[in-house]
Amino acid sequence: MTTLAEPDLGNGRNKPIFNNTTGFSTLITVTVLLLAWLAGFASRLFAVIRFESIIHEFDPWFNYRSTAYMVQHGFYNFLNWFDERAWYPLGRIVGGTVYPGLMITSGSIHWLLHALNIPIHIRDICVFLAPVFSGLTAISTYLLTAELWSRGAGLFAACFIAIVPGYSSRSVAGSYDNEGIAIFALQLTYFLWLRSLKTGSVFWSICTAISYFYMVSAWGGYVFIINLIPLHVFALLIMGRFSQRLFVSYSVFYIVGLLLSMQIPFVGFQPIRTSEHMAASGVFALLMAVGALQYLHSLNPKGQWKKLLIVGGLMAAGLVFLMVVFLTYIGVIAPWSGRFYSLWDTAYAKIHIPIIASVSEHQPTTWSSFFFDLHVLVCTFPVGLWYCVKNINDERVFVTLYALSAVYFAGVMVRLMLTLTPVVCVLSGIAFSILLDLLLRDDDLPTAPVEPNDKNLYDKAGKVKKRAPEPTSQADFGLGMNVRSGALIAFMILLMLFSVHCTWATSNAYSSPSIVLASYGNDGSRKILDDFREAYGWLSQNTAEDARIMSWWDYGYQIAGMGNRTTLVDNNTWNNSHIALVGKAMASNETAAYDIMTMLDVDYVLVIFGGAIGYSGDDINKFIWMVRIAEGEHPKDIHEADYFTEKGEYRVDSEASKTMLNCLMYKLSYYRYDSGGSPPGYDRTRGALPGNRGFKLTYLEEAYTTEHWLVRIYRLFEMFITSVPTDSVVYDFLTVLAKRIENFMMIAAGCGSRLS
Amino acid sequence: MKIYLIVGILACFSAAYADQETLVLVDNLNIRETHSQFFKSLQERGYSLTFKLADDANLVLSKYGEYLYKNLIVFSPAIVEFGGQLDTEAITKFIDDGGNVLMAGNSAAGDVYREIASECGFEMDEESAAVIDHFNYDSLDEGDHTRIVVSPKNLINAPTITGVHNTQPLLFEGTGLILDKDNSLVLPILTADSTAYSYNPKNQVKEYPHAVGRKTVLIAALQARNNARIIFSGSLFFFSDEAFNSPVSKVHGDKVKASLSGNKALAVHLSQWAFGERGQLRVRRVSHHREDDKQTTNTYTITDSVVYRIEIEELKNGKWQPFEANDVQLEFVRIDPFIRTTLKRNPSGVYEAVFKVPDVWGVYQFKVDYDRIGYTRLYHSTQVSVRPLQHTQYERFIPSAYPYYVSAFSMMIGVFLFSFVFLYYKDETPKTKKKVPLLAWKRCVYICKLPPSEVAVKMDPSRRQRTQTKASAEEQALDQIAKEVCYHIYVAELLQLSLSNKLHDYS
Repeated sequence: MTTLAEPDLGNGRNKPIFNNTTGFSTLITVTVLLLAWLAGFASRLFAVIRFESIIHEFDPWFNYRSTAYMVQHGFYNFLNWFDERAWYPLGRIVGGTVYPGLMITSGSIHWLLHALNIPIHIRDICVFLAPVFSGLTAISTYLLTAELWSRGAGLFAACFIAIVPGYSSRSVAGSYDNEGIAIFALQLTYFLWLRSLKTGSVFWSICTAISYFYMVSAWGGYVFIINLIPLHVFALLIMGRFSQRLFVSYSVFYIVGLLLSMQIPFVGFQPIRTSEHMAASGVFALLMAVGALQYLHSLNPKGQWKKLLIVGGLMAAGLVFLMVVFLTYIGVIAPWSGRFYSLWDTAYAKIHIPIIASVSEHQPTTWSSFFFDLHVLVCTFPVGLWYCVKNINDERVFVTLYALSAVYFAGVMVRLMLTLTPVVCVLSGIAFSILLDLLLRDDDLPTAPVEPNDKNLYDKAGKVKKRAPEPTSQADFGLGMNVRSGALIAFMILLMLFSVHCTWATSNAYSSPSIVLASYGNDGSRKILDDFREAYGWLSQNTAEDARIMSWWDYGYQIAGMGNRTTLVDNNTWNNSHIALVGKAMASNETAAYDIMTMLDVDYVLVIFGGAIGYSGDDINKFIWMVRIAEGEHPKDIHEADYFTEKGEYRVDSEASKTMLNCLMYKLSYYRYDSGGSPPGYDRTRGALPGNRGFKLTYLEEAYTTEHWLVRIYRLFEMFITSVPTDSVVYDFLTVLAKRIENFMMIAAGCGSRLS
Repeated sequence: MKIYLIVGILACFSAAYADQETLVLVDNLNIRETHSQFFKSLQERGYSLTFKLADDANLVLSKYGEYLYKNLIVFSPAIVEFGGQLDTEAITKFIDDGGNVLMAGNSAAGDVYREIASECGFEMDEESAAVIDHFNYDSLDEGDHTRIVVSPKNLINAPTITGVHNTQPLLFEGTGLILDKDNSLVLPILTADSTAYSYNPKNQVKEYPHAVGRKTVLIAALQARNNARIIFSGSLFFFSDEAFNSPVSKVHGDKVKASLSGNKALAVHLSQWAFGERGQLRVRRVSHHREDDKQTTNTYTITDSVVYRIEIEELKNGKWQPFEANDVQLEFVRIDPFIRTTLKRNPSGVYEAVFKVPDVWGVYQFKVDYDRIGYTRLYHSTQVSVRPLQHTQYERFIPSAYPYYVSAFSMMIGVFLFSFVFLYYKDETPKTKKKVPLLAWKRCVYICKLPPSEVAVKMDPSRRQRTQTKASAEEQALDQIAKEVCYHIYVAELLQLSLSNKLHDYS
């Protein structure tokens, strides 16, 4: 069993290959896994080939910036890094608010390569890290599936995960994000957990804990593991599958994993202080209680003791539960955070935490995206699940729970599609393995040339040594040769279509860097819109070193990463009230916004405007979320209804509400705008002619607008706070002006009364 | 080196010279004669005055974006519209860009004056209105009681603006001003007495006058945030030779008499302040560092002790000298001030504050915002970051945690010792058999009567568990038998138990 699970190269090397099925199967296994790695790596390179070797999107820019910082300044300085350029004027302790696994991984690769005298830039490591790790994910998925079912199923699963769009969406080249390495860690942890559960050995449990530690250091999604494994243990207890192996593996894993996870500064005391982690502790306590009762039972294995065991177990469970509730009530344990609560109550975030609801990847998943991300696997994975349930054992309980919970979470949030994908691959691998097993039952010769055939064969070869008996369905005995080969061909076509779809989806949907846009002309010619980098480049070249840039939080990381300037809010949305303040400034009229901006020492304002090229992800389209978030913190000043028309429509044309037409965001977007086709000033994104045009700005002046109007930067007119005390009277002048008009009105009124 | 020196000195001179460039706008050149003493005092102090008619068609303030003058004196109340490129907007811009303005009007002043006044936060009374005071007029008054005598007590208490020795009564003849309440930068330099009011002296008073009593401001000033200074006087007469030279004798009241009015002293002082000869402050040097470390740094750790030093200088008699005050404050601001403390003045003239950085990290600013009447608005801010403790800066061993250390180490030792016991202790099987409880003993008796193989299955539950998965058919069958046997034993035992209990009860 152990030799099977570890595709050891040296195993069958010295023996004549064809006489030694183990050696041959190992060779095939290694080849297939290498090919899967290669295919996974290659299919993720579309972005690099089409555009360039560049970091994508938003969060990766922060990860890249901090990795570069770590490589430059060393690990301890990174750990203590206080970034005064983010969240001005609050600052951010980066070392304590980040999952450092990603940075450490690429930092150590960088170190290793440099130690070998391979001079490679850290950016390239960051860009290619996720594709490389997709191969490791494939291997760990193979191991997991082999542990669950058979090696053949494992190879299928490895091939699936290597190219499935649901995973490559987060791991294309340049998408330098936590998920890229976390899925590998996730799969590895699960594999090791099953291995330790099977063997009941302390060694494998500690390996599980170490893998879990890596996962904790890499991604906040580790909470999934620390809830799923206890759930598994709990289910096993309920099913009466308690064993010494379970007892040893879980207690060792829990204790060592808990201590290790608390070493990550960002996690700190959370594992013992928050509700999200309480399931693990509760199950641990319960397991201890059941273990003790079991021991008592073993002393005297008689009827009344059995009853005691059940009653005692139930009481222990109840006691543990009440304890947790009580501790939560008195405040020792923090209650569920909003982000987790929104997983259970899907409407919760929309009502209470608009900032979570505003993120597109937190939206509920549509049916189509299940198919788009998983294609045929979404149909085959219930088959695998069914077989697992039918031939249940300790490990398959785990994969069943994994599948069910992942399906639920993936339905709640688009983002969690990522946790569903691996288990879908595993179960589909099992399903395909079983199907081909049935269809090729008569073929005894291990010479089938087609790759899936190979897999199937070695599946069989491996199966001989399986402890658990393979499902032997009686139904297929009646199938004729023709039906079998027909079905076989049909499945081959399905798999082919799957791989075509995967390539297509990865290439078309997930390989856009989103900081460089491409548009295609009628003749198929490609035009690159590089406005973002143009604007950030302008910022870095033309503004003061310590200039403070206000923008919506989406662009915070990019401004910091590419423009190297101070930002007020960024994608690490830890401080809702600060974001709400920026949202309020954007949603207020110019005068009120100016007060907020001077309070925050803002020098420049940056807005994204897609009206000229029809880019729909611009600030006006996001604006309603700014209003909502601002309203959450400042309900007296901002009212969402003010920004809609009387009919409740969100418009920007002349029908739009007055508040909308005069708010800062609107003005900054449409100031001086005369492009976008005919008539000039037409907004192609909203398909409307702006309702407020030709206005002038009082407190701001346009500093820069990019080629396609995509990024617009404004300078605050006359900064009050500069290092040299040269202020102006402009502000007074304006108040005086207002006063003067008022006086004039009074005098006019006075004249009127005098006349009468 | 020498050349640099010379060039530097020349630059200084030229700079100084540029500061003295003053444009004087007049209605007619006659004013040069009637106000000669005032102009002479200016010229004596080094100002170069350029007299121009206010409606001169060639009037310009700036050329090629550079201002030709630093100061502007407007003594032309009769003007209807300025000539050349000059208008209200140009003057406002001149102020915005830091130019100083001294304006004086009279009751005949036109709308241009009103416009400029309201730009600066004053309001001039209507045309032909004059300040009238029936109780405090001069003996030389012509009957309208508009040549009023104002006590120097009505001056604003700001020696930098008005000078120290203002004891002589002041003569005033002209319009009253009203100040804009919302504009915090406007200063009433000289107010009228409570018996004064502002109205057209030729008309009967039919309406409530706009300015009454002490609210009637005679001379107003404004210091803008960019330190441009404006003096606005309702009376051109105030600056005239006539007013400077004439004796004062009040007709009513305390009948104050003085051989010479205090106008000249005040006018000179006002012009000195307006043109930046007095009340100028500047920051010479700022330094800050940790108390135990002389190195200047931009990063502090929370709860550090910080020393902040600022050197402030004042322009006195054309020289920058250390400024003396005891009310300069320092703020340590992150959106809101976390610390506000008074800076102590060292003997050497350096202001210093020592304080503890708050226990909140973020980006802070040292702010000195010294805003006193008559002085330049002194504003200086330095940005520093306050960072949390580094991972090496936390306390390693805290006394309150000693119980936990003890428990942790005792546990470790205990486990170590226990591992020996666990590894090397052997159960002696016979001994355990003796310890079987009575009921089990009885059961053993039953079991002993059974065949040996069944007993083995029965006696070893762990073996059963282990073999469960691999159980062969034979074993399963055996197991089945064993189960049945056990059941029988159980039933028998129960019976026995109940019997014995009953027997016990009966006995």
